[in-house]
Amino acid sequence: MSEYGADTPTIGDVPRIVTPPVEPHLPPRQWLAKNLFPSKLNTLLTIVASLVILAIVRGLLGFIFNPIRQWNATAVNLRLMMTHAYPADQYVRVWVSVAVFLVLTSLSLVVWRVGFRILLRKLAKQVIAGGVFGLLVSVLAPFSTNATLIWLAVSAGVLAIGLGLLRAPEEATISSLTLVVGASSLAAASLWLIPYGRHSFVPDRTPRILAEPGTVAITTKLPWTIMLVIAVATYAVGRMLRDRIPTKQAQTVLLLTWFLAPLALIYLVLRDPDFDMAHVVSTDIPIFLVFAALGSATLFWLTRPDTGEIGRVIAMVILFLGFGSFLTPMRMVIRILLILLAMFSLAAPTFSGDRQTRRRYATTWTVVTLFLCWLITAINTPSTVDVPGEFFMGGFSLTLLVAFFTLIISFPLGVVLALARTSTMPVFRLLATTFIEFVRGIPLITILIFFSVMVPLFLPDGMDLPELTAVTIGYALFASAYLAENVRGGLQSVTRGQHEAAEAVGMTTSQKTVFIVLPQALRVAIPPLVGQVIATFKETSLLYIIGLYDLLFVAKALVPNQTEFMGSTRENLLFVSVIYWIIAYNLSKASQRLERRVGLGER
Amino acid sequence: MTAPTNQASSTHEAVSQRVPLWRDAVVVKWMTQVTLLTLVLATLWFLASQAGDNLSARDIDIGFDFLERPPDIQLSEGIDTHPATGGRALWVGMVNTLRMAGAGIIFATLLGVVVGLSRLSNNWLIQRLGTIWVETLRNVPLLVQIIFYSSVLSTLPRVGLDTGPINGWLHISNKGLSIPRIFIADGFYQWAVVVLLGAIGARYVHKRRVHLHNETGANTSPILWALGTIVVFAIVGLFIHPAFSFIGPIMGAIAGLLDSLPVILPQVVLSAAAIFFAARWIRGFLADRRSAVGHLALSDDDYFRIIFAATAALIAVAILSMWSGFSSWLINSGTDLFEVIEDKFNADGAARPFDAMRPDIVKPGKFANYGTSGLTITIGFAAVFFGVVFYTSAFIGEIVRGGILAVPKGQIEAASAVGLSRAQSLRHIVLPQAFRIILPPLGNQYLNLTKNTSLAIAVGYSDIVQVGQTVYNQTGKTLPVVAIWMLFYLACSLTISVIVNYYNVRLKLVER
Repeated sequence: MSEYGADTPTIGDVPRIVTPPVEPHLPPRQWLAKNLFPSKLNTLLTIVASLVILAIVRGLLGFIFNPIRQWNATAVNLRLMMTHAYPADQYVRVWVSVAVFLVLTSLSLVVWRVGFRILLRKLAKQVIAGGVFGLLVSVLAPFSTNATLIWLAVSAGVLAIGLGLLRAPEEATISSLTLVVGASSLAAASLWLIPYGRHSFVPDRTPRILAEPGTVAITTKLPWTIMLVIAVATYAVGRMLRDRIPTKQAQTVLLLTWFLAPLALIYLVLRDPDFDMAHVVSTDIPIFLVFAALGSATLFWLTRPDTGEIGRVIAMVILFLGFGSFLTPMRMVIRILLILLAMFSLAAPTFSGDRQTRRRYATTWTVVTLFLCWLITAINTPSTVDVPGEFFMGGFSLTLLVAFFTLIISFPLGVVLALARTSTMPVFRLLATTFIEFVRGIPLITILIFFSVMVPLFLPDGMDLPELTAVTIGYALFASAYLAENVRGGLQSVTRGQHEAAEAVGMTTSQKTVFIVLPQALRVAIPPLVGQVIATFKETSLLYIIGLYDLLFVAKALVPNQTEFMGSTRENLLFVSVIYWIIAYNLSKASQRLERRVGLGER
Repeated sequence: MTAPTNQASSTHEAVSQRVPLWRDAVVVKWMTQVTLLTLVLATLWFLASQAGDNLSARDIDIGFDFLERPPDIQLSEGIDTHPATGGRALWVGMVNTLRMAGAGIIFATLLGVVVGLSRLSNNWLIQRLGTIWVETLRNVPLLVQIIFYSSVLSTLPRVGLDTGPINGWLHISNKGLSIPRIFIADGFYQWAVVVLLGAIGARYVHKRRVHLHNETGANTSPILWALGTIVVFAIVGLFIHPAFSFIGPIMGAIAGLLDSLPVILPQVVLSAAAIFFAARWIRGFLADRRSAVGHLALSDDDYFRIIFAATAALIAVAILSMWSGFSSWLINSGTDLFEVIEDKFNADGAARPFDAMRPDIVKPGKFANYGTSGLTITIGFAAVFFGVVFYTSAFIGEIVRGGILAVPKGQIEAASAVGLSRAQSLRHIVLPQAFRIILPPLGNQYLNLTKNTSLAIAVGYSDIVQVGQTVYNQTGKTLPVVAIWMLFYLACSLTISVIVNYYNVRLKLVER
């Protein structure tokens, strides 16, 4: 909290919670009169709007519960939509990946102390609204008598619970996490208890959807139940250990794990590389050892504050070695590591300091080298998972994969572009501005078509880039131009005084940028950056046009062409929309909460 | 090189001694930039040469001659469904894109304002509807929406010879919506001249009425008067337009004059203009940098700008002088333009400005389809249109809401204090101020909408991307087509941002 912040009243170190003025609680009739019928015009509007809502709800229910709807197409093809052709006998790998994500999520909830208290009375209103909606559905939807009765009973039950909750004491609250766990436990239990309709390949156009007996396949309900147990158990264990672990370190480790986990899961678990151990021991490990040892020794020495000119000379020599290595045949790994080492050496003066700082810099180099060596080895090793087609993932997992890689490539690129665009050096500015404005002026689809069709033309002989990789690079370039503009907005919000103060204490330009300007700029840029993440996630649907097997492609082009489910396009598209909506909506809500939490606009 | 010492005498020496070359900030800065530029250019050159090698190895020719050749493709809709040349096909695609973007921008703005206002409504139900609209539509990818609308619309009944709610006037089917078409006929251009004269007259009338209002304070409704003037001219024009056929021969004379110009003339004139403007810019720049006492201090950045301007002018001159094709192209296209205008005015006296046709249904083979005489809105158009309009309206709604909320509360209170009604204060106080805040993000949304129309490729609406893809699949000319796409969209983006910036500057608060 700021010391001088007039707009954040603080008592000691604890921020006082400023609650908005409480609206007087109106009895229902007055509430209606105030909010729905305050004037003649408003009464008319209310009537028209209710008719519109009624028509929409009725149309939607008529669509969903129409006897000719083939919801089986979606239910049966869930696996196809999630992972496309990933072999069923290897599916435990997918579940392991999901479990890792859930464990990470649980731990993050623990470490960042996410969650808030919800007033029981407020919750009661939501439950009552749910019950009323359920009643509406059971009256309006074209159910069979049997199904109508079941819906009515369930809705009445929900309504009763809501009314019961309304009698709770005024101040009673419940944790939001308890609520989520409770709701997901109920959902998991319902998988075992409630007959959710029959899922078979037989096209049955029965008019009674809900009354149809049937069960969810064991391959769906068993793993999900286990996943829930894992998530809850991790949270409980983490909660017990929370106070014994230093929070700061735990957060750093978790953030790193969040970044590394997808790569590890893809290249170690899902892809299951068939490592050639003899080759690994004879080539890959020695390369790593040599670079780790020599590199960290060099960097440890280069970061001494009194190295001076000779350090730059050495860095330049390594840089020339790196670029020169392209002239002779050599392993790509060595070239990449040489250039990376040169970059680290050039940046060394920025990170110079005492022994501990220098040791940390050298350790960073070792870790990065280890990670890169492992990644390159894993990418170059053939996979044991046998999947038809170019790539071993498809469906929703491909969507997530492309979004992830786009973001981790485009983020650093965007920051570099933003720095170049605000640089004092005209050539940097010119190049960055040209690139950003060019990319922002053309639609994404032209870039994607360019990268999917044209990239082979620009590659030297013998070099081969898979289409998916090329398209991901196209996505990343596109996103980086927009990210750069967001970061630039953040950079401009850093006040002049900060720059001057950094210069006054004798920082170099790069030290000023890395330690003073960027941290503040990125913090301001969080909301637009999250907006860009959501946009990127939504834009992954364009893979459909390129003809790669993403979620939309499977739902639009594959499933409706199965002989059993001819023309089930709309059902699948609605399902796809719901998936996209849930994720995008929650991301945007989370970003709003984050914005409030880091106190933007308060400092 | 020299370490600064503590003694005052040697400090003076250290300052007077120049820093070594490799520590000189200016030298290091420029060396870095030149190195970077070289690297970028080398990479580009390497890629281009690779592409050249690969293209010649695969026997692909990247010329633009396909623009002149018959493409043998058929478009689903547009000003010309059987284009004679590849260039014409791409032109049809461009017109379709512009048509979609224009219609989308207008309707998305209207709907967006409604959505934004409804989210601020006192009425709980209306407010909730607005919220649901925004939160649903902006969180579902546009492509998914477009495909969904398309698949919903294609479930409409099949077209038959006697279908449609009002057969012969209005048809709705899975081929789209077909209504009577009003189109411009031969006499249109003469009539347009009359309307243009009317517009000039209207401007004058508007001025007079405003002046009258300022003088007397009476309610003179100048805008209504101006509109009335134009309408009067338009109606009169319907009867007198043949009188303006004389413009044709004048245009023909200009075309003849242009045709007789020597090729060297535009070369000389344009080169002179390039040098003149560069020199004027540099002079202005230097004058700008000169302090009041005439002292000129230039940073290396300023030098860069001057060198850049001079080099650009020189390059322009070099290109103009070496490439005479450009100049003759300029002359030829100028001649063509005036000849085309001459043709347009070359109508006989009985020609009408407008004509109308009723929609028809034809059955060439087994299946019936709409004929060409009606105005047809296809399923593809409708799907893309609903997609971009709904999607963008959600974003515009949020912008409008934010803009209105950003107007200080005191303004609204002051408005009600002087006795304005809620509607009046919205119209005269809130919206004009909100518009100033809304405009820049609104322009951004227009840009996004225009770019988003390219998703039409997913539902087969013949926009520039879809036509381009068909053309390069036929001819194999991927590189030129992609280049045309990018140039076209860049031009669109530039146009929109220029217009928005113009209004932005005009609307800016004039502060002391």
